[in-house]
Amino acid sequence: MAELQGLGAQLSEAERAGVEIVAVSPDPNERSQRLAEGLRLGYRFVADRDLAVARRYGLVHAGGGPDGQDVPRPATVVLDRDGAVRWFLVSRNFQVRPDPDDVLRAVRAL
Amino acid sequence: MTSGRLAVLSVVVALGALAAYVLLFRVTLVRNHPEGYVIAFVLATTLAALALVRARARRWPAWLALGLASLLLVGGAWFNFVLARVPDAPTVLRVGERSPDFTLPDAAGRPVSLADYRGKKPVVLVFYRGYW
Repeated sequence: MAELQGLGAQLSEAERAGVEIVAVSPDPNERSQRLAEGLRLGYRFVADRDLAVARRYGLVHAGGGPDGQDVPRPATVVLDRDGAVRWFLVSRNFQVRPDPDDVLRAVRAL
Repeated sequence: MTSGRLAVLSVVVALGALAAYVLLFRVTLVRNHPEGYVIAFVLATTLAALALVRARARRWPAWLALGLASLLLVGGAWFNFVLARVPDAPTVLRVGERSPDFTLPDAAGRPVSLADYRGKKPVVLVFYRGYW
């Protein structure tokens, strides 16, 4: 979730109003929501408890969790107003997340 | 440089790299270059080996530094190159094409549909694991 903080901090208020950031994770999302509120980030956190959506997107890292459970591959996708993919990045190393500057560039290019 | 100083320098480099990575994880440049700590551990191991070669009477500081640095090097390299690797697999995402629709509950249990934003707002979708 480190990438979320960078992204939120760099968006201007107008930009934050003009784009919806939807964070998808198997996390029980009250925890995520509390974290986002603490950081004053205007994100929608949605719970993908059984990874059904991650699976549909081809973004499951089988057995990649700390207890050997399936987890999502960290990924960021920029969709334009019509819902078309304009930019995306899937991490190949779970420590590495997209550079917020790259995401912002993709958002501003819309 | 004396053996003792080399040993101290090795420990400082090894522990400093570890601390810097943990403390500066929020900094994109640090987070996105995890090989940086592996390189620092290689440097620390080299310094400790040099300390051992130069040691005359007191050899234990050099051995201690070598033990610490090589342990961090093996652990760090295993973490970065093995554990943290996410296997590559095809996604359904194609630039220019619509991504699959979904409806999932938000924190309050209200359903959020990707389709709701169509024609209204661009969306940044972030898939994350949940524990950081």
